[in-house]
Order: sequence, then structure tokens, then C-alpha cells
Amino acid sequence: MIPYARDPQQTIPSSTVKIIGLGGAGSNMLERIALDGMEDAELLGLNTDARTLSTCLAREKIQLGSNLTRGLGAGGDPGLGHQAVLEVESEIRSSIRGRKIVFICVGLGGGTGSGAAPIITRIAREEGAFVVVFATMPFAFEGLRRREQAETALNELAVLANALVTFDNNRMGELVLAKQGIHEAFTAADHMIGEAIKAVLRLVIRPGIINVGLDELMSALRTNRSRCLFGSGIANGKDRAAKALKNALNSPLLDQGSLLKTAQTVLVHLSGGPDLTLFEIELLMQRLQKFVPDDAQILFGAAIDQGMGDSLSITLISALPEDSLATSQRASLSHQAPENLIPDPIDELPSPQPRKASATRDAVAPETNHDAEALPLFSTEPETPKSGKHVASFTFTADESASETMMDEPEPAAMFEDKPESEALDASITPLDSASSSEVLLEMPVAPVDAEHPKLKLGIKSSGPQAELSLDSLNRGRFEGETPNVFEGEDLDLPPFLRKKK
Amino acid sequence: MARRTQIHVGLEIGTSKTCMVVGEIKADSAVKILGIGVTKTAGIRKGEIYDFAQARACLKDALAKAEDASNVQIGSVYLAVTGAHLQGVNNCGTYRLPDGEPVVATEHVEEARNIAREVLIPRDHAFLHSIVRNYRLDGLEHSTSPVGLFGKTVEADFHIVHGIATRIQNSIKLVREMPLEVDEIVFSPIATAQMALDREHREGGALVIDIGGGTTDYALYLNGAIAASGCIPVGGDHVTNDIHLVTGLPFSKADRLKIMEGDASSDLARSVGIAKLTDDRGFAEVEVERSILNEVIRQRLEETLKLVRARLPAGAVEQIGSGIFLTGGTSLMRGFSELAFDVFGRDIYRPEPPEVSGVQASFKDPHYATAIGLIRYAQILETERAGPAGMFKKLGRMIWPFGK
Repeated sequence: MIPYARDPQQTIPSSTVKIIGLGGAGSNMLERIALDGMEDAELLGLNTDARTLSTCLAREKIQLGSNLTRGLGAGGDPGLGHQAVLEVESEIRSSIRGRKIVFICVGLGGGTGSGAAPIITRIAREEGAFVVVFATMPFAFEGLRRREQAETALNELAVLANALVTFDNNRMGELVLAKQGIHEAFTAADHMIGEAIKAVLRLVIRPGIINVGLDELMSALRTNRSRCLFGSGIANGKDRAAKALKNALNSPLLDQGSLLKTAQTVLVHLSGGPDLTLFEIELLMQRLQKFVPDDAQILFGAAIDQGMGDSLSITLISALPEDSLATSQRASLSHQAPENLIPDPIDELPSPQPRKASATRDAVAPETNHDAEALPLFSTEPETPKSGKHVASFTFTADESASETMMDEPEPAAMFEDKPESEALDASITPLDSASSSEVLLEMPVAPVDAEHPKLKLGIKSSGPQAELSLDSLNRGRFEGETPNVFEGEDLDLPPFLRKKK
Repeated sequence: MARRTQIHVGLEIGTSKTCMVVGEIKADSAVKILGIGVTKTAGIRKGEIYDFAQARACLKDALAKAEDASNVQIGSVYLAVTGAHLQGVNNCGTYRLPDGEPVVATEHVEEARNIAREVLIPRDHAFLHSIVRNYRLDGLEHSTSPVGLFGKTVEADFHIVHGIATRIQNSIKLVREMPLEVDEIVFSPIATAQMALDREHREGGALVIDIGGGTTDYALYLNGAIAASGCIPVGGDHVTNDIHLVTGLPFSKADRLKIMEGDASSDLARSVGIAKLTDDRGFAEVEVERSILNEVIRQRLEETLKLVRARLPAGAVEQIGSGIFLTGGTSLMRGFSELAFDVFGRDIYRPEPPEVSGVQASFKDPHYATAIGLIRYAQILETERAGPAGMFKKLGRMIWPFGK
């Protein structure tokens, strides 16, 4: 095999990813994420409560509303949270600037989370990032008021965020046994969200043999007011394909796979060590077919990762509308009109164009065309290993298609600016990430160039010691002339006495 | 229900010998061996045919001997096959009951079975066995079919053995050319286990290792059900070959030296001095240092056992409660039990065949374990098949209560 250098530009360096923990629940999630071995990712802690913020593990922290609340919490008042975040809007904006993906982890229902999350989502969208919001909904026993606050914030987020994943705290009981401690329950929930973030990152950051990227992710999650279905499983040894799938389906967000029955689009991402076989993939996908409807669109991706060893991991991502009514709306995925009619945050920019009314109307029409054209374009683009400097930012052209009409805005310029930056960062990212992923046994982010190198070395290695032992010249006695009985790199027809003596 | 005695024939075409056993299953389900026909095989290597004509000649010879010994005209046989291409995999079929049907029905179980059987095998492979291990109803284990119980999800665990179709076909063709019919094809270690293990052994967790001339077959039973099976293409021939390669002795002498003097244990006391073979006149014709001879044998067999161990599912060895049952010609090697104990750390047995009467000396011999196991397998299959037929017969007897 001739290794060729796949263009690293196809992938998004992890340094352009930011994970934001907002409020008390958000910083808990952030902590879990940091402890689960993603310390390298840029973590940003936001809180009104100075005490909680000071113990937060995030490298970067911004206190919200230091004048307004004087270091105390928002006291369960979303209005206060809303005002507090506006105080430090410019700080947040500069912190997010240039990031391509922003994850916002937030617990809805309280003051800071519910009040500030929509604002931060908007800021992130305005800065040109793909925003994924992970929101937890309050327990039923926390009362109707809190629930309503959470619902209000959720409705706003559903419109603003590119993808919204909600986890209802009431389902937390399913994660752990009844007798286990409350901290374990919360840890499990946070861990699950951390896994989801990792899975999304893995998907978007690492190039695969069969690549999936942001575009696929977006089409998998393309539903309004949706409940994100997420499952991730890892297994090794014999029968690992089946085991990994089973683990993935065990996720509480999938309910043993029964929730996938109505999914329209399912994103499946597989990654394994160099010994990942096509046979295994076939086996796994065949099994998965039993859980998804026949007409579902399956977005499949696979990646080889040296760090996986002999394990195989599978990630399933899909979205389900919360109300069955939305199913009909979503049934025709090719019609993206309802999606595009969502008021784009860019339309609500603080500094609107003088001819805003006409501009937005213009923007809507080309936008639909753009998306329809752009989607097939994206799916082919990552595969071609051409020198795609502009490919690096390909995912954002769709998002920003509206901004074409506002060329005189500083934003697009900033976008172009960060291109060389991301390029330069590419070089530094590899060692950084390998440290983090080797710990969690997830995909290695190494560029395919590196991925192919060890394989080549291996081939030399296995032939090297054989040549030294001069086994080729060794008489094989009775088994002379037969096909070598090779098992795990050793010819079983040769005496172990000679083989192992060395 | 009293039945006529049945005669079954087990045929094992091994690497070193072709063995045909004629057994009679009496009305009380005891097995009597009527006769055995054995000849040395040629044309088989590592359990697979490489010279069809030679193998056919050997089989013809074995057939004639078996018919002579048992005084039975043999028309069909149960055939044991082995070879490195045969693999055992476990697969689980899950079937969710449709809404509104709370009770498991027969077709639901059937569906789960079908799903489990749908394991993807390479294109050129064919199924040999699909043995149900156990059922699970909503995660709770059931050893028998859960029809009629309440539940949401039925799962069926299967052990599936598959191998390259053409090679299996060639084995069948060989037998058909006798001409003989093939009743059933059985993966060797499964046949061996029928004889070596009784129900208690299987419940307790047992591993059968059949080290023959060209292959080492194994079958693992845990909690009463088969958990793994497979074949490693290494056997006694390799030991001989190793001795030949290391010492430079010709095959025949290496083989005799292996049988007469070899020792597989790592006991140093047994590796002192020189192993000698004497010719007819009492002169020493071969002299090999015992330390070298034993080391060659030990390393080969140790490696083989470790390969078996490595192939077992993780944690399986710890679950083996009954012990490890060694059969096959190579298991007669001195010190082999000690070696097996060193590798597995479990009780080691040479199985004693139960409830078999007839030519005593032969079935004590591990050489014939597989062929005799085939008779047992046939017996089990026969009782399974007789089930529904018996009901019809009963009905018939209500109408016409005479005759047999």
C-alpha cells in the first residue's frame, strides 16, 4: 500500500472547539468532562456564583454579573441571569471568537442556566460557530415553576442552537441502580453527556476511511424541538461488533434501540484498530438494520485508529421530534424549507444592515438553494484528498450562507482570518490529542499519514525477525511445501523448540 | 416407550487413522459396541484430505474391517469432520414481541432462533451446527424454550459451527463413494464431548481437548451448554516432525522415540540421561539426550495448549469447575496431564466412557473417543427426532392397539 498524505485541512483541529459549562449544573458537567480525560479541550466556565466558579476545573473562567449579583448566584431568577450575561458579553464574545464548534452544557430551570444560555448560544452563533447545546431538564419534584422556566429557555435554545440534546433528570434513575448514591447518579448523567461530546468531536475532528463530518451530523440532527438519540458503545475481543452495538443500544437515550424505530436519519460512526474488518462492519450494520426503519437514511462513517488496539467503538446519533406531530414535518427531509425559516441568529444581529428587510428576504431564497446544492457537495468533498485550503471552512459556508449578503460585516473577514491560524494549529494538535485519547481509549486523532505509517512498519517488523531466524531456509520436514500454518504471526509447522530458542 | 434396538455407525477420518465404530443402542438406551474397524490413514493432513484416492482406499479398508468385526451391513454413517477452517461462534438472537402480545408464542421463539442463525459467515462457508445454548426472557435466563411465559424480549443464544463448504462436501463425497450414506455431519470435538462428558460435567463447566494426529479440537461447556469449540491444526504429527527436525532422525524412528520415550512434563528428573531405541537384535540404534527430546515435545504441546487457552472466551478457564478432559492419541503422552495442569491450573481427566458395553479394551482407548462419541450423538439425535413421531404412534395405538 502506498501511503499518501491526506489533507489535514479536511478536519477541524480540536483547538477550535470550545466547551462551555454554564451555571452550577454546567460546571459539574464540565468537571466530569475534564476528569474523563478531555483536559486538553478548551473549557470555559461561566457562572454568577463566584464561589462555585472558583472551584471549577476549567482553565478559563468568566464571572457573570459581578456588579449585578456581587458574586452571588442568580437565585433561580432567569431575568437576573439574562442581565448578568449581558454585562460580560464582549468578554464571552472574544473568548468564543474563531471557534468552529461550541458545546454549551447547561442545567435548565435555574437562574443562570435558563437566563444566560440563549444569549450565549446566540453569541456563539454570531461568532460563526456550530453550536451544540446539552441541556438537562429539572426533576419533576423541583416544581412547576422551575419546569416552566426550563421549558421557556429550551424553546429559545431549540431555535438558536444548531443541535440541542436534552436529558431529562427524571430519567437519571435509569442510569444507576436504586441503591446507588446520588453523586453516582449525577456522575453517570454527566459522564453520558461527556461521552456525547466526545463522540461528536471524534466524528467531526478525525478523518475516517469513510468520512462523516459536520454536514452529516447536521442532517442527522435536523429536527426542530427534537430529542437527540445518542448511544455509544465500545467492546473488544471476540464478537466485539455485536457487543459494541449492544453497549451502544444500552444507552438510556435509546431505550434498547426501540426509539430508533421511528428515526428518519441515523448517523453511525465506527472506529476500530487496524484489524477492523469489513466483515465486522457488515455484521454490525446488518444487526443495526433490525433497529432502524427500512427507509431510514443511514449516514455511515468509519475510521481506523491505531490507539484503539483490538477494540471497536460505535456511535449512534439520531434525533426524534418530541411530539409526533413533527414527524410528518420531518418526513420529507429533502424539503428544508421549514428549517431555513427558523429565524437565523444572524438575522438578529445587533447591528443590522440598512436594507435589512430586503436583505433577509433575499437571504432566505438563495439559502434554500444553497443548502440543497451544498449538501451533496459536502459529502463528496471530504473524500477527495485534494489540496483543499478552502475545504477547511467548508462546513461553515452553509451556516453562513446568509452572511453572504452582509459581506461588509466584519464577521466573514474574521472567518477568513482564522484559516491560516487553524492551519498552523494543525501541526500542534496531534501530540496534544493523542495524549488525551490514549487515556480514554477513543479514536486517535492522528492524521491518516500517521495512521498508515505504523502499518507499514509492522509489515517490515514481522518479516524482520523471520529473516534473522532464517526460517525460510529451515526444513519443514513432513509439512514441506504446504501452505504455512500461520497463527498470530508464527508458523505452527516449525518446532517451537527452534522458534522460541532464538 | 420401548423401541427396537438401533444400530448406528460412527466414522472418523482422522489424520493418523480412519476409525469406524458400529454401535448398537439397546431399548434401554445403553450403547453396545459391536465392532470397530481401524486402519492407518494416508492422504489426510491436519484433518483435511489432500490425497483423495489414498483416503478412499483407507476408508474402504476400515469399512471392510468394521463390517467383518460387527457382522453388520453398513449403509449409512455419522461422519465427524475437523480442520482449521471450522469455527465455532456464539450468536444471540433478540426478538421484541409486537405490542399487544404479552405472552411468548412459538413463532416468537422461532423468530429469535432465526435471527440468531443469521450470523454473517464468509461467503464460502456453510453451517455445520447451530446448537441452542439457552434462552433469555427479558434478561432472565431460561434453559428451555420460554413459550407461554409473559415477557417483552426473547433472546436465544446459539453456538454456530461453520466451515468451508467445499471441504465439507469433499468429506461427504469420500464417504458416498464407498458407497455409504451420511446421516449427519458432526464437528469432531462436539462428538467427542458427547462421550467424554456427562450432564454434571457440563453443568460444572468442562473443557474437552482432543489432541489427535493432525489437529487439536476443543469444546468448552459452561453451565450445561456449549460455549466454544474450534480446531487448531497442530497435533501429534507435529511432535514427530519437531523431533525429526531437531534431531535429524527419520520419521519412523522419531515417531517410535516419541511414543516409547517421550515425556511432556517439565519434571527435570525425567529428563536425565539418554533415550535409546534398540533394534531387533538389542543394539542401540538411536540415542538422543532426554533433555532435548523432552524439551522439544514439551514446548510443542505447551504451545498447543496455550493456543487453545487463548482461543477460549475471556474468563472461561476460571469457570471450568469439572475439569479438563483430554482425549485423542497424543493425550497418551507421558506427563501430558502434568503439562495440561501447568497450563490451565484445572483438574485434568482422561475420560472413562460410561454405560458402554462390548469390546472393552477398545473404547477405553482415547483413540476411539470421537467415533464412539458419534454413536452417542446419534442416540441423542434419535431421541430428539422420535419425540413427535411417538405422539403419532400413540394416537395410532389408540385406534389399533396391536402390532409393534
